[in-house]
Amino acid sequence: MIRRTPILIAASVLLAACGSTPTGQPKTELTLYNDKGAWSKYFTEMGALSKQQIDLGMKPVGYTDEPTYQAFIKASFRTDVKPDLFTWQTGGLLKEIVGQKQVAETTAIWQEAIKNGDLSEDVATYYTVDGKQYCVPLNVAYWGMFYNKKIFDKHGLKPPTTWDELITVAETLKKADIKAFYHTSVLFSFVWFEQLLAGTDPDLYDRLSTGKAKYTDPGVVQVMEKWKSLIDAGYFSNPGDKTDPADALKNDKVAMVSFGTWFNTSMTQRNLDAGFFVIPNVNASLPKTSMIFESGPLCSLAKAPDPAASMKYLKWWTTTQAQEKWSSARGDVSANPKVTIKSEVLGQVTKDAGSGKYRLVNRYFEATPPPILTAALDGFGLFVTKPDSYRQVLEDIQKKADEYWSTHQ
Amino acid sequence: MTGRAAPLLGRFRAGYVAPSVLLVAGLLYAPFVWTAYLSLTRYDGLIPPEWVGFENFVKLLDDPALLTAIRNTLMWVAGTMLLPVGLGLLVAVLSYDIRGGAWFRVPFMLPYALSGAGLGLVWSPILSHDGIANKLLGVDTAFLQEAPHNTIAMLLVWTWQQLGVNTLLFAVGLQSIPKEPIEAARLDGASGWRLFRHVIWPLMAPLTAVVVGLALVASLKSFDIVWVMTQGGPGRNSETLAVTMYRDTFVASEYGYGSAVAVMLTVVTGLASYLYLRGRK
Repeated sequence: MIRRTPILIAASVLLAACGSTPTGQPKTELTLYNDKGAWSKYFTEMGALSKQQIDLGMKPVGYTDEPTYQAFIKASFRTDVKPDLFTWQTGGLLKEIVGQKQVAETTAIWQEAIKNGDLSEDVATYYTVDGKQYCVPLNVAYWGMFYNKKIFDKHGLKPPTTWDELITVAETLKKADIKAFYHTSVLFSFVWFEQLLAGTDPDLYDRLSTGKAKYTDPGVVQVMEKWKSLIDAGYFSNPGDKTDPADALKNDKVAMVSFGTWFNTSMTQRNLDAGFFVIPNVNASLPKTSMIFESGPLCSLAKAPDPAASMKYLKWWTTTQAQEKWSSARGDVSANPKVTIKSEVLGQVTKDAGSGKYRLVNRYFEATPPPILTAALDGFGLFVTKPDSYRQVLEDIQKKADEYWSTHQ
Repeated sequence: MTGRAAPLLGRFRAGYVAPSVLLVAGLLYAPFVWTAYLSLTRYDGLIPPEWVGFENFVKLLDDPALLTAIRNTLMWVAGTMLLPVGLGLLVAVLSYDIRGGAWFRVPFMLPYALSGAGLGLVWSPILSHDGIANKLLGVDTAFLQEAPHNTIAMLLVWTWQQLGVNTLLFAVGLQSIPKEPIEAARLDGASGWRLFRHVIWPLMAPLTAVVVGLALVASLKSFDIVWVMTQGGPGRNSETLAVTMYRDTFVASEYGYGSAVAVMLTVVTGLASYLYLRGRK
């Protein structure tokens, strides 16, 4: 008996360590791992709604640090700690996990949703790899300029419709000692690069994203020089400021902030009635106004703990009743064209984008492979603090791009 | 030990040691061997590792960011020796043997309760361009933007936190040294700097070795404060080796290259500790 006891204890410990025994019972609540920790409140509301509507609850597990989140998700592919649902990125990162057969196919959900008018063919392209769809849109966002209506009214300014008008607005604000534009040296350092390049030569932007153009090409250099001229003119806030951009806009520290429509969630949280306009092209001769577009996927693993439950949830997520709530709670737009957008101006932008008025350009963050993106974010971060460094910055990014594309073409 | 217990212990000796050995092997040696293997591969955390030999190490030698990281790490080592350790010793000596010395040391200890990340979160807005430091000093300095100001600023923050614990360790060391040699030296007329330099300092040598050794290793792997306050930027100008390792591995998803930095950092830390301890013999 004495000899058997340690063996029994060891066996119990081992059994416990091996995790729960599958019961075969369908799940009644799913965990949704996400990199949007600040949206936990909205995810929880969605969980309560799904419980009501399809008898399947959802509990969010939010991360705020992107590298930590991605490392966790990648690790979950090889371990037994598997999320039922998780957020991810379109572009190269989605292709990678599809290539590794880690993510569940959602072609059937997309086909039905497109047929019902819950999703559009345009958005499907961001979720298509080798003719099949994976994940569904957690959110979509159109990028433009949020502006402080109070400041604009005080100085008799109107949302600009041409690049020259935008510069006139910035010049007026400069004379009133107000910083026109927000920019930062951390993470979102790419915003003005993508906006200026897409508004000058969107084809070059696309070629750059796929390694068919170089960061040292004359067109890219000119964009950096344009950006430098705007910084030199004194239109930008200090990139070292740590004030949240939403607070900077609310507290009159800056007059305009360029972000995706999801930034309206921050406006909603602060009860700030900010305006929004589409940023005009730098190059007036382009046939369509370039608009940065992003969409974040909500995915299920190919080996999800309960694949049927995860699929049921993804399908529900695309429906109008789910999206009405998701969109209105955050004050954002929706991937579902049938949803009524609370904000009149954002609703109009969504409508115009859906009717093909703009040339949608994939956001730099998703369009650029991670190693190049990391080098670029560092480079742009340096550039905004030392604008004279632009040539060196472009050379450094290109060095990384050469290295990457030499093994990934 | 009784005659009955000795053979029993002898029989199961390996069994007693096994759990600890398994824990150490599983949690320390195995990850290190795995990291060393990854350093010889190209790996993005998803696609299976591809063997590339020493390519990552060759790339390391040609990476200008690595030189910056080495320069900053050396600044952290030198700064740590000078400020948290040096000032810690000074505060301990000044507060030694005086009435209320312990109370004098308490304020220095309080920041030690903060984690490195918490420390960064507290100080980052203070030192930012629109922070209170600029307003109080009436200046317009980019404390966290320009190199080497940003590393120096972070070192001062690190000092604010670490000073107390070093003071405490030195104070304990001072209290534990025998009184007789000090009394004898005083009777011989030694006092002040001469007493410290020739009597107290040598008597504190074993403790100093521990404090300096710990500070050396901690400064070589400086990460949390830098990551929270500047993320190694802007433009990688405040990166330390540990930040480079994290950034290349988890941000750029270059696990192989990041592992090569990790191996290099391990070798540097091990070598520095070995040379330091050997030099003290």
